[in-house]
Amino acid sequence: MTEATLPAPVAAPAVDRERLTAIGFVLPSFLIIAGVFALPLVLLLGVSYVDANGLSFANYKRLLGTPYYLWVIWNSLRLGLLTTLIAFLISYPAAFALARARGPLRSLLLATLFLPLAASVIVKAFAWTILLRSDGIVNETLIALGIIEDPIRMIFTETALIVGAVNIFLPFMILPIYAIVAQLDPRYAEAAATLGASPVVTFFRVILPLTLPGIIAGVALVFSLSVSAYVVPTLLIGEKYPTLATTIAKAYLLAREPGFGAAAGVVLLAIAIAVVALSARLSREPK
Amino acid sequence: MSEGSPHLVVRGVSKRYGPTTVLDHIDLTIRRGELVTLLGPSGCGKTTLLRAIAGLAQPDTGKVELAGRDITNVPPHKRNVGVVFQSYALFPHLTVAGNVAFGLKVRGMARREIDIAVDRALSLVKLGHLASRRISALSGGQQQRVALARAIAVEPDVLLFDEALSALDRKLREEMQVELRRLLQDVKATAIFVTHDQDEALTMSDRVAVMNKGRIEQLAEPRELYLRPASLFALNFVGLSTRISGTVLAADNGKVDVETKVGRLSALGNFQAGSPVIVAARPEQLRLGEQGESNSAAGRVRSVVFQGSRTLVEVDAGAGESLLAELSGRDGAIPRVHDEIRLSWPVTETFAFPMEAQA
Repeated sequence: MTEATLPAPVAAPAVDRERLTAIGFVLPSFLIIAGVFALPLVLLLGVSYVDANGLSFANYKRLLGTPYYLWVIWNSLRLGLLTTLIAFLISYPAAFALARARGPLRSLLLATLFLPLAASVIVKAFAWTILLRSDGIVNETLIALGIIEDPIRMIFTETALIVGAVNIFLPFMILPIYAIVAQLDPRYAEAAATLGASPVVTFFRVILPLTLPGIIAGVALVFSLSVSAYVVPTLLIGEKYPTLATTIAKAYLLAREPGFGAAAGVVLLAIAIAVVALSARLSREPK
Repeated sequence: MSEGSPHLVVRGVSKRYGPTTVLDHIDLTIRRGELVTLLGPSGCGKTTLLRAIAGLAQPDTGKVELAGRDITNVPPHKRNVGVVFQSYALFPHLTVAGNVAFGLKVRGMARREIDIAVDRALSLVKLGHLASRRISALSGGQQQRVALARAIAVEPDVLLFDEALSALDRKLREEMQVELRRLLQDVKATAIFVTHDQDEALTMSDRVAVMNKGRIEQLAEPRELYLRPASLFALNFVGLSTRISGTVLAADNGKVDVETKVGRLSALGNFQAGSPVIVAARPEQLRLGEQGESNSAAGRVRSVVFQGSRTLVEVDAGAGESLLAELSGRDGAIPRVHDEIRLSWPVTETFAFPMEAQA
């Protein structure tokens, strides 16, 4: 009996030391994440309840109770949804083409996806303003081809905004889908075919469900990027299409209303978190 | 359709990939309820032939008929074949029951009938208790059974197995060979197995097609394949053998006398005098000592390998030739390494093959 109880006092400190070591390793990264990400978020949340008269819900009431700001929120959502939808429609077949491509062609295609990421968003948005303006290359070409007589107004329209946003955020949709498609065993489609599924049925019952994780990752990325985009709407459409992002900037830089800007930031964050949480839920494996 | 009539007919099927001929005018007829193995080394075309039957590879020439229907230009989803893939290709987003039900659902079967058919298929492979499991929660052997149940559930006209057992470990594979054969006979399935494993071929099939370089070298029952190999390739690929090269001295009515470096030997075969040949015999035909009217050769024992019920003895017969004998313990004394011994074997169990066929 005494022999059995003897090791206990020796073992206990050893376990504690192990745990202490583990905490020691985790602590620095925990502190960095807490200090750099969590703390600012808590501050943002706190500030959003502050207005000229002290603590109140006034900022949220103004944001969610004024038709103008509801329109602003709708603009952000619309930008996010349209960009995500169009980017998905382009990216899904593109990802398959990329996965089918072999050798130098594949490298070339991947390079055309990655290289634009090295250029600043501002540069790319400006490039679109040059391309789309009345004497830009798109209008000049259409006139030269005789398709139109007078230049079409393209810059500072919603079309320009969506075209630019889709172009800039496209790699974030293609790459996660491509990563899944490239791993997809062609035997799945063959197995479905031998079991009697036509190519269309195979697509909807096998290929689409199996590539869903890539789609969800791409949708979450592109939606959260485009719903909160600032440079793209500012340069490609401007004042007549205010979004949450441009409203936040204005609240801080012009109106000096940090509480209101923080509230708009919280709403934007809530939208993004809702989409990411929904994606995570959808991508979970079925039980 | 009565048993024994042609069920699957492959006629003159060829397939080329670039400069490589993968299938070279294959003819193959399989009866209803027959279990046939396509046996050969990798690259012999056996998997391509299986894929051509399934409709997953389009042959350049030739025809495929299944259950009296020309299916040469029918897409795979309208062929009514069942395929069990080497990697199983089970759908990871569906449960075990969902996988088995897949073929029935896409055929538009009523839900209640699907449930009954899925239960039946899963109980056939003894997996009824795992119906609601995810695929990733199954062992390799269980996945193999699900793949089989999924293929059987649609009641295909022919079941095709592409190296379907090769991913299992040896013991499980040997158990599955016996069980699978019994199961397929119970449901009266017609099946084609593709394998490079001769034991699997001999265990599983009513007939074995030995394939080499896109051709079927021999199509025979396992026993005949072993006892009467039609080519040097078939001899080499199935079982062990002693092989000695020589030149035909005289030919007489299906029998030849061959001059070899280990002495004069007689063998079955039709050759002209002067032809270079390989003389071969199965190791269990070789006996210790001299016997009248039989072939014999002497040499020094190079190795003795004890394998339980039998002992393999390799003898260096000089001039680069060697003999392989399989002796049973009951034959009395087993020689030891470096012993000088003489081995003999019956002329009627000695074959001659043309030399140039040796690849």
